[in-house]
Amino acid sequence: MSEPYKRSRTLRRLQSKVPGGRTVLHYKERKPSKAKCGNCGSMLKGVPRERNLKMHKLPKTKKRPERPYGGNLCSRCMRSLIVEKARLQ
Amino acid sequence: MIEIGRVCIKTAGRDAGLRCVIVDVLDGKFVLIDGETRRRKCNILHLETLKDVIKIKKNASHDEVKKELEKSGVRARETKPKQKTERLKKRRKTPGELRTQKEEKKKLRDLFKRKKEDEVGKGKVEEKKGESLEEKAGLVEEEKKQKSEKENKKPKKKSAKSDKK
Repeated sequence: MSEPYKRSRTLRRLQSKVPGGRTVLHYKERKPSKAKCGNCGSMLKGVPRERNLKMHKLPKTKKRPERPYGGNLCSRCMRSLIVEKARLQ
Repeated sequence: MIEIGRVCIKTAGRDAGLRCVIVDVLDGKFVLIDGETRRRKCNILHLETLKDVIKIKKNASHDEVKKELEKSGVRARETKPKQKTERLKKRRKTPGELRTQKEEKKKLRDLFKRKKEDEVGKGKVEEKKGESLEEKAGLVEEEKKQKSEKENKKPKKKSAKSDKK
């Protein structure tokens, strides 16, 4: 019987071919869910879907789009928000 | 609505949410803007026009736009031109220079070597002397003891054997 952590599905499974020709199961931690817009809930573009360790290694400019509300709102919601603010003035 | 001097808010890109002035109308789609944003070509669809209009000439410079905007309490973007720093080009050393460099290195090496040897030699000799003396003293005593024991044992055995015989 394999170890409990291998029996549960908390880890994702990767089938990789080793140099010897066998296919081996590798257990890896699952990626976090995709980043979503805070307003409409659509998937955000330009936000990598990686675990914390890899995100630490990335530069700040590669973690989110470089505009106001980048990484929190999608571009459409951001634009409508700014237009609303402008029209109030 | 789109005219020279019209104040707008940019709604797209990294300058989104910042105020700008239309400096030039390039065609039906694009205008030249300046102000809080970078001075750049911009699509009309990416601008939200405001009520204010500023009196500026066509293709006004950044300083002129800055002056006019400051009257309405908007700080224009300040960009410092990059200072050019002269980089020294790497050049190959001539054989003569290389020779002198080697000689200097050798001199330094010799100096350090001599110093180290002197220091190490002196220290070692003193330590050895001290150690050797103590050891000698200890060893001599031990050897004496061992010898005496052996001498004592040998005759006893012999005597025992002789008794048996």
